[in-house]
Order: sequence, then structure tokens, then C-alpha cells
Amino acid sequence: MTRAEPQLSSPRAGRNGGEAAAISVVSLSKRFSPDVLAVDDVSLDVHKGAIYGLLGPNGAGKTTLLRTILGLVHPTSGAAFLFGERLTPGSPLLRRVGSLIESPGFVPHLSGIENLKAYWEAGGQALSAANLDQALAIAGLGSAIRRKVRTYSKGMQQRLALAQVLLNKPELLVLDEPTIGLDPGEMRDVRELIRSLADHGATVLLSSHILVEVEQVCSHVAVMNLGKLVASGTVDELIGASQSVYLEVDDVGRAVALLKSIPGVSRVEGDAGGISISLSGVERKVIVTALVHANIGVETIESRHRLEDAFLGIVEGTES
Amino acid sequence: MIRVELRKQTFRVRTYILLGLVICIPVLMTVAVELGRRPRNENNFFALASHSGLNVPLAALTASTSFLLVIVVSLFAGGAVADEAGWGSLRYLLLRPVSRGRLLFDKLIVVVVMAILATLFIAVSGLIAGTIAFGWHAVATPDGIEFGQGSALGKLALSTLYVAWCMSGIAALAFMISTMTDASLGAVISALGVSIVSQILDAISSLGSVRTLLITHYWHAWEGLFANPVTSSDMIKGVIVQLPYAAIFLVLAWWWFHRRDILC
Repeated sequence: MTRAEPQLSSPRAGRNGGEAAAISVVSLSKRFSPDVLAVDDVSLDVHKGAIYGLLGPNGAGKTTLLRTILGLVHPTSGAAFLFGERLTPGSPLLRRVGSLIESPGFVPHLSGIENLKAYWEAGGQALSAANLDQALAIAGLGSAIRRKVRTYSKGMQQRLALAQVLLNKPELLVLDEPTIGLDPGEMRDVRELIRSLADHGATVLLSSHILVEVEQVCSHVAVMNLGKLVASGTVDELIGASQSVYLEVDDVGRAVALLKSIPGVSRVEGDAGGISISLSGVERKVIVTALVHANIGVETIESRHRLEDAFLGIVEGTES
Repeated sequence: MIRVELRKQTFRVRTYILLGLVICIPVLMTVAVELGRRPRNENNFFALASHSGLNVPLAALTASTSFLLVIVVSLFAGGAVADEAGWGSLRYLLLRPVSRGRLLFDKLIVVVVMAILATLFIAVSGLIAGTIAFGWHAVATPDGIEFGQGSALGKLALSTLYVAWCMSGIAALAFMISTMTDASLGAVISALGVSIVSQILDAISSLGSVRTLLITHYWHAWEGLFANPVTSSDMIKGVIVQLPYAAIFLVLAWWWFHRRDILC
């Protein structure tokens, strides 16, 4: 895991050496009032082709950071760069970006398709230039696309919002909780969509509370808490090399003693019927074999959500 | 892009209700005058409405300027940006590669179109309903003189445009507040409140000539076109007095919208 280091150089400076990052946030702060520092000196690079997960408890400043990156919120200090250029409100750079911020927002008395049209044409282009077929396929709304958005369920609105994101075949997607309001099948569809977009070269920055989802989809993760970026790196870096395993055995006391004696097993925490351990360099079957040889019955052995542990550890660590 | 903004209004039930309202009021007035026809001693545009079809739109303009038209125009102007904020679609509009200024300009054009339409509909609806009910005669005026149909029609057209222009200050105020709030009703109520306060102050004669600076003071100055002798100097002052109001409110709207953090 790498702790976030303030990166003071402008991304332009890095241009000579290589390609500019898709998103480069440099010492960005946003103060809403003397008491409210929503984003506190955040620096972050999202490289092209990365799927970057932005995590943090509610009120950590994730949405404000995303809004500032996109020019909706003016930074108090610092700056955000897209593709190496400083983003100003209404910048032509936005043509390359698809975004979903906080929740879908549509004109309720227009149909789904009319809303997509209005959104697109507000950018000064004809709808024929839009990636409409793929967008409509993603929305999967069928004939409901001609109904007024007022009549849509939350999930339908979310799907329409995802269709809206895809209209301009974005090179960069900024998605704030993209699967909120969707059912499990739709969530899986969205995860697959995000992966396939990234496979085709798009860069994705997404915020989510669903850590399993981030663990499955993202290549990189940044964690925010209280406005600060408290950790960032690849998912593996953040989780660490160790693996968290949960066991249920019939004799917790003896099992704990035994496990503590096995090299490569750390953090053995036992309670009524269950034991959590961290493994590094030890395979799970070694543990099971050792327990069985000692005549301890193993009822369950499963991996814990490692990112969840890492995330909670980081957040709790920065709050104390 | 202005077409996009116009489409948002034209597919909206509220637009039809508001424009339907300004069409219905003159028709209702015509029916009321027709049913209640009896000799009158009063000499104002209401009393004279049954004189000619051309009199009805004048009565309708007099009746609607101070309140009905203010509400209708404020609803269009007050909703311009605040409605989008309320729907949550404002942030997506601002994520398009279009400057905030351009968006504001397009929204303003639609407000102007709607305000002119609303005023026009009052006059045209009154003219049609009145002509059907009372015929196509010369216009009678409170000063007791008459104007032929041709010249009266020209004066009516000029009066209608003037009334529409008189709404510019209030409309700009509602538009400005619309850029500041997520609740369009707040913008509407503020604009309505200012117009009411202005009209109350205007009624206090001890305030003297200060009243001529009030946003509503010259709203009825078009009646000078039908006076004896015909006067237009108040109308010219009325046109001028709206300018600083409209300019200041629009500049503030522009300034505020550009520095605003879009959190809705």
C-alpha cells in the first residue's frame, strides 16, 4: 500500500517523459465554509486504461472531488487536469468524458429518448453523431424509452443515466455509485460493461460503497476519509500480500493454539465457533490438513472480503 | 441549442396551462361584459369594453399587467435554471462542452420568447373574442374620443409590445434568483413580491417623484396612446426605466452562475 504523497508537479511537466494521465488532480482543496473543508489537499493520478475505484465513508468528500474534477465545483486551491489539460467549465475536453454524478437527473416531462436527445444536442451536436444504438442497448428499456421519465423506476432512471454516459463513446468515465438502485443482475451487467469499456481503452474513475464490486472490477483504489486521500495504489497493494480467511471449527480453543504455531499464519482471532486468520505464503489446504490431523473438525473455510478489511482498517486508522 | 430549450418548454403541461390561462382571461372578460351589459357612467377601459372588439384587448391588458402577466412571466423566468436544478439535470447540462454563459443565454432567449407570447396571447385572444362579441368598430377611450380601426390596431400592437417590455425587469429578477436556487417557486414568489411592493409604494403619493424609478411605475403608460392629447413621453420613460433593472439583474445572474458551485 502506498500512502498518498502530495504531488506538486504539474502533469504537463510529466508530458515529456510519457503520456499525460487521463485525470491528474494536483493538491486540490475545496472549502465550502470556514468549518467545511470537503476536499483537503488531494493529489491523484488516474492513468489511461485504469479502472480506479474511489472509496470512502459517506461525507468523505468523494462526490465533491468528482464534481471538482469535472468543473462543476470550483476548487479553493489546486487544480484538476484531464488528459494533461486544465479543465474549465464547459471545456471541449468534456466531449471525451461521460459522467454520472450522484444520481440520474432527467427532465421529468420528457421521454427517455427525448432526454437523451436534449442532453446530446445541448452539446451542440446532432443526435446522428451519437453512439445511440449501444446506449439504448445498455439502457435496455425497450418501448419504455418513449415513456415520460416521470414514470420510470429508480433502476430504469439509473440505466438511462448509464446510456447517457455512453452517448459520446467516452474515453474517460466518471461514475459516482453507478450500480445504486440496480438489481443484482443489472449490477453484474454494469460491472461487465465497465470492464469491457476498459478493455477497449477507456479509463474509469468510479466511486462505490460496494467493496466487493470494487475488488472485482477495479485495477486501482483510492481511499478518502474526512476530505483527505488516505491511501492509493493497485488493489493488490492496498490489500497487501496476506489473505484473510474465516474458519468454523468444532474446537475453537485448540484450533487457535494450533494455528498460532503454523508459520505464515498471523492475526489469529477466535470467538464462539469462528476464527479469523491472515495467511501469507501458506496455502489453505495446509491449514485444513493440520487441523484435521489434530482431530479438529472443520465445518467452514472461506475467504473474507479482503478489501473490506483493508478499507475499514485504513478508515479507522485515519480517524483515531 | 435554443431549440432544445424550447422543446423542454413546449412538451410541458405547465406551459399549456399558463398560455391557456392568458388566452382564457380575455375570453372570460368578454363573456362577463356581454352577460352583464348595462348602461355605465364609469369611463375606463373595462366599462368601454363592449364598445368594440378592439376595446377588449385594451381592457384585458389593463386587467392582466399588474398580476396575471407577472405571475406567468415569473414562472417562465423563475423556472429557467431552478427547474433544471430541481430535476437534477442541471449538472448534466453543465457537463456538456458548452459554456455556462451560453446555456444561460439560451435559457434567457426562451424566457423572452415565452414572455412575448404570453403578452401577445392576451391581446390577440381579446381581439378575437371581442370582435366576435362586439364587432369591428372604432375604439372608444376613457377621454371620450375615438380612434379608427386602422390606427387603433397599430396602437394596440405598440401597447402589447410595450407591456411585454415592461415585464423585462421583473423577468430578469426572477431569472437571476433562478440561477441561485433549486426551488423555482422561490424565484416566482420573490418576483411577485417585488412587483407588489413596488405597486404599493407607487400608490403612496407622498413619495413624490421617487416613484417614477419604481419598476412598476410606468406599466400602464401605454394608455397615453389612447389619451387626448396622445402622449408617449411616459412610455419612453417606461422603456428606459426597465433598462437598468434588467441589466443589473442579468449581470448579477451571469456573475453568480459562473462562480456557483453546482451541488444540486
